[in-house]
Amino acid sequence: MAILARLKSLIRNFLGQRRSDEDIDAEVRGYAEILAEEKMREGMKPDEARRAARIELGGVEQVKEQVREARTGAWLDSLLQDVRYGARMLRKNPGFTAITVLTLALGIGANAAIFTLTYAVILKSLPVPNPQQLVRYTFRNGDQDIGFSGPLYESLRKQETTSEDLLAWTSADFAVSENGATQKVRGALMSGNGFRILELQPFLGRSFSEADDVQGGGQNGYQALLGYTCWKEHFQANPNVIGRHLAIQGKSATIVGVLPEGFEGLVAGQRVDVVLPLALDYSTEQQGGAFWLTVMGRLKPGESFQTAAANLKATEPAVREGAGSSHAFLGGFFSVFHIGVESGRSGLSLLKIRYSRPLIVLEILVGLLLLLCCANASLLVLARVSGRMREFAVRSALGAPRQRLFRQVLIEISLLSICGLAAGIVFGWGGAKFLVSMLAAIGQPPPLDVTPQTTILAFTAAITVLATLAVGTWPAVRASRIVPLLGLKQAAGMQRKSVGAWIVPAQVAVSVTLLAAASLLAASFGHLLFENAGFRPHGAVLAEIDLSATKPTGVVSTADAQKIAEAVGRVPGVDAAAAMSWPPIHDWFSAGHYFSLGPNGVVHTDMTVWPETVTPDYFAAMGTPILQGRPFSRADVTGDQVCILSASAARYFFPNEEPIGRFLYTGGADPAADGKTKIAADATFRVIAVAADAHFRSLREESPRMVYNVARKEDFNSEFFIVARGSSAGAMSGAIREVARQIAPDAAQPNVFTFDQLVASHLSRERMLMGLSGCFAGIALLLTVMGLYGLLTRSVVVRTKEIGLRLALGARPRDALALVLRQGLRLVVVGAIIGLAAALAVTRLLGSLLFGVSATNPLILAGVVAVLFSVALAASCIPAWRAARIDPMEALRYE
Amino acid sequence: MAPDQTNLLQGTLDMMILKSLSTGEMHGLGISRRIEQITRGTFQVKPGSLFPALHRMEEEGWLASSWGESENNRRAKYYRLTKTGRRQLDTETERWGKISLAIARALEAEG
Repeated sequence: MAILARLKSLIRNFLGQRRSDEDIDAEVRGYAEILAEEKMREGMKPDEARRAARIELGGVEQVKEQVREARTGAWLDSLLQDVRYGARMLRKNPGFTAITVLTLALGIGANAAIFTLTYAVILKSLPVPNPQQLVRYTFRNGDQDIGFSGPLYESLRKQETTSEDLLAWTSADFAVSENGATQKVRGALMSGNGFRILELQPFLGRSFSEADDVQGGGQNGYQALLGYTCWKEHFQANPNVIGRHLAIQGKSATIVGVLPEGFEGLVAGQRVDVVLPLALDYSTEQQGGAFWLTVMGRLKPGESFQTAAANLKATEPAVREGAGSSHAFLGGFFSVFHIGVESGRSGLSLLKIRYSRPLIVLEILVGLLLLLCCANASLLVLARVSGRMREFAVRSALGAPRQRLFRQVLIEISLLSICGLAAGIVFGWGGAKFLVSMLAAIGQPPPLDVTPQTTILAFTAAITVLATLAVGTWPAVRASRIVPLLGLKQAAGMQRKSVGAWIVPAQVAVSVTLLAAASLLAASFGHLLFENAGFRPHGAVLAEIDLSATKPTGVVSTADAQKIAEAVGRVPGVDAAAAMSWPPIHDWFSAGHYFSLGPNGVVHTDMTVWPETVTPDYFAAMGTPILQGRPFSRADVTGDQVCILSASAARYFFPNEEPIGRFLYTGGADPAADGKTKIAADATFRVIAVAADAHFRSLREESPRMVYNVARKEDFNSEFFIVARGSSAGAMSGAIREVARQIAPDAAQPNVFTFDQLVASHLSRERMLMGLSGCFAGIALLLTVMGLYGLLTRSVVVRTKEIGLRLALGARPRDALALVLRQGLRLVVVGAIIGLAAALAVTRLLGSLLFGVSATNPLILAGVVAVLFSVALAASCIPAWRAARIDPMEALRYE
Repeated sequence: MAPDQTNLLQGTLDMMILKSLSTGEMHGLGISRRIEQITRGTFQVKPGSLFPALHRMEEEGWLASSWGESENNRRAKYYRLTKTGRRQLDTETERWGKISLAIARALEAEG
């Protein structure tokens, strides 16, 4: 095959000419043999003849080397000549050059941006030696990984043999006080063996070890290491910070070192300002029910994930047994989770868990976009090549070999793509920075490094090479196939059988796919945003209150919470305010065990009820409707224990029964467990109302079954939340800060966010997906329209004579119009059919990223096709109108 | 070898090769012998200059090559002129004619 041979020769020249090397060798040896034969014929003995031939030859290797030099020299010379010529041609057509470069830069840049993000989120390792040896232990049920509790970690650490030792890590916000001022700081606790296991050396000062990881720390309190970024930003990289004293969560601590640059903790995408020993906040007894630890280890030499997983399978029962007594009360809840092990190369990456699938989808979409950009560039280049057929015909007639014409076209396209690559890298860098800022939840964007680096540049260069070949091969073949004598006729005739006939349908197909994906994601986003959440986000604010600095031992703060909530509620402009134990739409996890007794002793029990402790005005402040019964009142705080159920909880605990006035039990012995109906509950609650279901944990998830309890004396932690509803978010934020300052002057200033901000942050993934896919689809549509318009316009120009003839023979202008429209629509129909099939395949991948809309939603797919057709029709109109206005007499004279 | 001499020799060698191939395809040694023959032994082309020239000219598109068998069934690479090569030979011949005429006149004038 001619194309294949040309490509081969091209590649051979690029790859150090290995094949031609063997050729030269064979050729020179053949020469020597024939020479020897000649000498034998002249009467020499065979041995003598062969020696004489070798002497005359003067060394096979030298000859080969000279040949190689001559070849490369000649090749380079002509290459440079072609490059100079190509550059001149491109300069002569600035419009064509600019559009083609821009098209390529768009495709390359978008790919570079998405890949940068993929690399930073999915592929990047922790900056520690041999990260591939690290493993992370999971405690999961399905895709819910809740982490380890203290006792479970200790039990696993004792019994795990595939790793030398296991470390525990947990991220937390700390209230840090220095010289009387308290600030909230992103921090982490790590077990003392962590630095040893990670082989992590501090940038400055020293790290802590197991000996330092004890209650109370050393004689100067707990030992703290600052994050590198924090040290630079807040301490101006001052080396004298070492030895400074801090109060963290009301406990004494001293700065002993600074973490190395680039190490931002084991939770990827989070910044760590300070790392402290785990003992600061750790006690086995207290923490039995909290699953809060990330557990990691380093595999011993010779061990692998497989051996570690196999080992775990065998030891899991014993590990659970070892932690058992402290988890007995969790009962069934504990039993549905299982210990697993996976790669710890990138630590625990919440971003990775959340963004892996979206990024894969985006990579596919952006790949399709690049394909489309290539198709468009290819159409542009083909048009250029057609326009230059005369030139190629002349060059060919003057003896330029086909290979040379092929190379000429490919070189021009390479020059275009090199410009595209340069612009693409700049686009990509800016794009990636923008994307990271879009990833930002509330506050700081995750510390993802998006500066272009070797891997990313290599990837970008690789896709550029592919794009160049995709764009250039066909035009280059076209140019090289020219037959000199037919050149001019060919130049005119080739339009009819234009390759555009399959490029345009391909563009349409890609557009349909991108549009379908974008529309589905937009519909899903709209669903999440506007669906009834079970509370009214607009007009409410949420404040995080942390009193731990003033209540160092975590003493209950119900009284303070009530005081703050009531004070906020009295502020003018605030309609209602309440305190609550767990924040909504934070993707947090809270579970409690409740049961009810039905008629005939039927027990309904659930380990995963979401218990929410609130102050009386909660429902008014959140905007959650009470469907039945009455909201909490002040009297409920001291009277009999009462509760309000969410609608789904009411249905579950009291199926087909009237829930109001019934009782719900918690704790103690589950009567279902022993089959007896004797009630031995720790607490009994009378149901006073049923509230609407709320998507409390996440807007993406089903509403959990919820039990609302009214806060009594000891129900709140030192960290809780205030929700307030009123007319002005700014005024409410100010009021809450002011009230908090008055009631707890030493506590850290509370963070206050509007619910609108929370929802925006909660849906940042969906918004990014929607925005990007929408962008891609828009570009795709534009490129397709340009492609179709260009093709039809050229086709009308080429067919002027034919159309003129038809008109002269009695066709009406309307027929000419229809002729062109038909040509355009035929291409679109073919493309749309292929596109729908492709869309169904691609959107299936969206699966779990779609909410409230199915991937095959016929309405959306029909809408996409309709949009495409109307846009295509618009693009065909101008060329069709031109065809209809052709003057037959002029057209027949037209050459 | 002085540079100007190289240039002269290269140009000359190219022309010799083109000329020797104008009658039909030939392998390396054949070309070498043919040049010896048509210049009556004035030029003896060594493999060290022959092969680089052949490959360079192939790269330029003047020659095409293919594998064949010699008279004694030895595998050998055969070269032939391409259309470009034939045109190149014409150009070279013409140019050479002009140069040699000019040089001859110059020398006569001096003499």
